[in-house]
Amino acid sequence: MLSGEQSSASGPGSTAGEYEGQAPATRTPTHFLRKVLGRPVVVKLNNGTEYRGTLVCLDGYLNIVLENSAEFLNGELKRRYGDTLLRGSNVLYVGTIPD
Amino acid sequence: MSFTVGKGQLEEPVELLRIALDERVFVKLKGDRELVGTLHAYDQHLNLIISDAEETLQKAELDEETYEQIVRQERRKLQLVYVRGDTVFLVSPLLRHTGTFL
Amino acid sequence: MFFTAILRTLIGEDITVELKNDLSIRGRLEAVDQYLNVRLAQVQVHTAAAPPVLQLLHGSCTVRGSCIRYIHLPVEKVDTELLQEATRRVAAATKETQTMK
Repeated sequence: MLSGEQSSASGPGSTAGEYEGQAPATRTPTHFLRKVLGRPVVVKLNNGTEYRGTLVCLDGYLNIVLENSAEFLNGELKRRYGDTLLRGSNVLYVGTIPD
Repeated sequence: MSFTVGKGQLEEPVELLRIALDERVFVKLKGDRELVGTLHAYDQHLNLIISDAEETLQKAELDEETYEQIVRQERRKLQLVYVRGDTVFLVSPLLRHTGTFL
Repeated sequence: MFFTAILRTLIGEDITVELKNDLSIRGRLEAVDQYLNVRLAQVQVHTAAAPPVLQLLHGSCTVRGSCIRYIHLPVEKVDTELLQEATRRVAAATKETQTMK
């Protein structure tokens, strides 16, 4: 698990060297995810549910912890959570939302 | 004032579950199932052992006459149960202060 | 492996394995492997719609781990305090191997 986390978390960054000039290290998914730590994000799962909250922590599997989060289904607020752990295997995307 | 963990407290997402050990947690599972129970064990796959749990199963059914969708809830108690991690969508510790649901 | 170890402490006990296809199988736990495949003896199936082949198994069967949704465990055979302690230890050990890398 740990080596997997390491390699997938640092993977895009470390391979960037091979494609120098094509993909600057500042534009990798990993860089994006580091940058949005502590910021409000929207996470969509592959069952269609959306979670909005502050991104507290994530790993290479895209397991995600959100703080003060809310669950939306078809744009409708379903439920609020304090902290919530989302299982990476179900994550479709992570996006930023304005404050 | 926040009772939630906050940024920088967790190195790994799964650590949230260590904080939630022996506490009530809310779990969302595949197939419109939800569990509320006390967490006793977990691993990195999100395999869980939960006790004194109540499971809620949402069943959407089509009314044969009116063709309206009816959502039926089935509840049952689970004394002590192992939950396989691959069916887990979400785990959330039930914080006493939130009081926003259930 | 941690959950394999947990379930192995229950070998010889009666458990109910609930599958993702809603079939529930009750039996005596015989063996558990690293994938959490589970071997049961003295199997009983209560679901009315149980597949007839289960009658031909002479009372024992192996369930593939990935087909399992829940395993209902005997409350009186599990020390939840001990479980939590073990979970914390495993979590700490995992973290340690991680920082070493």
